[in-house]
Amino acid sequence: MFKLLRPLSAALGAALLCSCAGSSSPTATVAASTAHGTLAVNPPFRIASLNAATFQAQLAASGSGTQLLQITGKPSCGVDFYYIKFWTLGGAGETTESSGALMVPTGAAPACSGPRPIVLYAHGTNPLKTLNIADITNTTNTEGALIAAMFAAQGYIVVAPNYAGYDISTLGYHPFLNAQQQSGEMIDILTAARTALPNTMSAATSDSGKLFVTGYSEGGHVAMATQRALEASGAVVTGAAPMSGPYALVTFGDTIFLGSVDIGSTEFSPLLTTSYQKAYENIYTTPSDVYSATYANGIETLLPSATPIDTIFSTGLLPETAEFDITTPVVAGSPTLTAFLSVPGTANYPVPPSAQTPLFAAGFGSPYLINNSFRVAYAADALMNQDGGNSYFAQPGAPLPATEPVQTLRQAFYKNDLRNGAWEPKSPTLLCGGDGDPTVFFSVNTGTMQIFWAPLVQAGLIQVLDVGATPSGPFEAVQAGFQESQAAQLALYESTAGGGLSPEAAAELIVENYHTSVAPFCTAAARAFFSEL
Amino acid sequence: MTTFSVRILCAAIATVSAGLYCAAPALADDSPNSARIGLYSVFYHVSAGDLSGPFVPPGANLDANNVETVYLAYVRTLSSRFDVELAAGYPPLQKTVGKGPATLGSVPYDGQVIATARWLAPTLLLEYKFLSENSRWRPYIGVGVNYTAFYDRDSTAQGNAVSGGPTKLSLTSSVGPAGTAGVSYNIAGHWHAYASYSISKVSTDLTADTGGIIRTTHINFGPQALVVSVGYSF
Repeated sequence: MFKLLRPLSAALGAALLCSCAGSSSPTATVAASTAHGTLAVNPPFRIASLNAATFQAQLAASGSGTQLLQITGKPSCGVDFYYIKFWTLGGAGETTESSGALMVPTGAAPACSGPRPIVLYAHGTNPLKTLNIADITNTTNTEGALIAAMFAAQGYIVVAPNYAGYDISTLGYHPFLNAQQQSGEMIDILTAARTALPNTMSAATSDSGKLFVTGYSEGGHVAMATQRALEASGAVVTGAAPMSGPYALVTFGDTIFLGSVDIGSTEFSPLLTTSYQKAYENIYTTPSDVYSATYANGIETLLPSATPIDTIFSTGLLPETAEFDITTPVVAGSPTLTAFLSVPGTANYPVPPSAQTPLFAAGFGSPYLINNSFRVAYAADALMNQDGGNSYFAQPGAPLPATEPVQTLRQAFYKNDLRNGAWEPKSPTLLCGGDGDPTVFFSVNTGTMQIFWAPLVQAGLIQVLDVGATPSGPFEAVQAGFQESQAAQLALYESTAGGGLSPEAAAELIVENYHTSVAPFCTAAARAFFSEL
Repeated sequence: MTTFSVRILCAAIATVSAGLYCAAPALADDSPNSARIGLYSVFYHVSAGDLSGPFVPPGANLDANNVETVYLAYVRTLSSRFDVELAAGYPPLQKTVGKGPATLGSVPYDGQVIATARWLAPTLLLEYKFLSENSRWRPYIGVGVNYTAFYDRDSTAQGNAVSGGPTKLSLTSSVGPAGTAGVSYNIAGHWHAYASYSISKVSTDLTADTGGIIRTTHINFGPQALVVSVGYSF
């Protein structure tokens, strides 16, 4: 009787007992170390895997994607989008986790796998804290789509941080235009991405050892600072292409404080003061030393924000354009200073009106962001200790002020101005931008560096490209493409389909979007430049 | 060995039936115990919520492939009308497949086996038997409780490709009602043949962890099972 029962009960018993055993397949390893440059999660998470045809179809599904494809060309490779988490340091040396993208080209074409060059990319100012440049599934991630289509889909491995203070980073601020922090973070994500690459599902693609560094706007500054840091460390940079960046921060800061207020200044100001306050602890005792009572409360933690910037403007947390008080200060005993502090276009302002004067004047209003007392202190320092790059006080070679500024914000600009540190690029460098840029002024930044590094420009190591100039030379097609695109966009705005704007309103919109419009064209120039190296 | 096996069996039954007595004094019938073995065909009628979590496109859902396995049961006769049955299938390899978009990005999804798991699903049933004890055919119906635990959970290579990397799966255990209807046939002496159709409610919360990226869904398996078995009374 028990003959049957025995195996049956044994099987049943074993089956019942094994319910408590068993384990799931392993997941990724979380690094124990939080040393900067450590890959936090290995292998990294792949957000999406798109083959060339799917990526093309995805881009072609939107108007902006279709325009982008015209500039980038059709994808030759598929792209695997990895989400890198890594450890880095904040602006005051705080240990913090940060995140970013590792985009790996894939596919059968010879240029899509095997040893491939790395493009280390730094993104532009983004007010949205939730930014994840690796997330190609998010249609608002236009900069991610741009670098994926321009570089990764053409066989470049792309590495790009979201930056500390964004996405998963618990750092309570973003070290905006902090050259040391941001170049350090770029090198940290590069280290982490090189650790990650052999462990990904796209391991058929490997690092060829060629390294290109580029970035746009804020990222242009970051890219140049990264080139400096990498070259100082002895690392080989194959080529660099900083684009539309605020490289000459003292010149740029002085230009703004002396009345030429750029588009976006009310967004950049809180990012700057918080970043430098955290790093140097001397910008202010309280934010109301800098900011008007209307906006001072909460401004330290305002940006980047999970709230869209348009909502921040519409709810009165920031003025849209009024950087300075429309009632400009009169400084007793200093008529020059008083004149420079007056509103551009008014009789007392020392610079003759130009086409851009109304734009600068829009930076004055009420309620306004920055206190007159702070502006006076900065401007007095700018007049006292003049910057050689500034057109008002231009000196041969466009040097930095002879001595370190006294005013603390100007001191911070001086520290992070990329003329600082007695260095010059060792590797071929392309500086690209557009001369009509109302956000990051071209002549003030790229122009200043061009003069500062004139011998290297003459020697051909550094090339300067103005996409707004008359098309000629090696990037003629890029210049022509940009200018045709601007003309087409203007015509579209004036057409019924594009909103039927008046010529003035259409032109205004072109100016407003100019800085963003230059990005894909400069990026295309950067790719062409890298492909020759 | 025999004693040990019986002990395990009793312990297991005791656990599942939460106190139902085991090795009780013999009832009126002189063969109150029955062991059955047979074929267990499970048909799923899955309804699951779309996967939710970061980086999941809308409409990504799951399905389960039907399975067949060995049916094992111990039945204790309580009276001429009532039996209590503890049934289990030998834990089969259950395949979970993607349902929804043909691809996620460019990675095939719909119909792809993305995960496997084994389950252990003991069901305790109280059964009522029709007709007389002397009938060759005896229809019966039963109600009870099903407990399902999942183990050996693995995300397949295809599942990892879809999920974005090595993925750890966890599925909560399920307790739900079960019902059965069947018929027994007395072949000869102690030997009987059985056929039954059962339904039970089995649901689980699935959590997939891919390098710290968590996706979840709730799955109702809606299993129905056809069992054909033979049993020996002792």
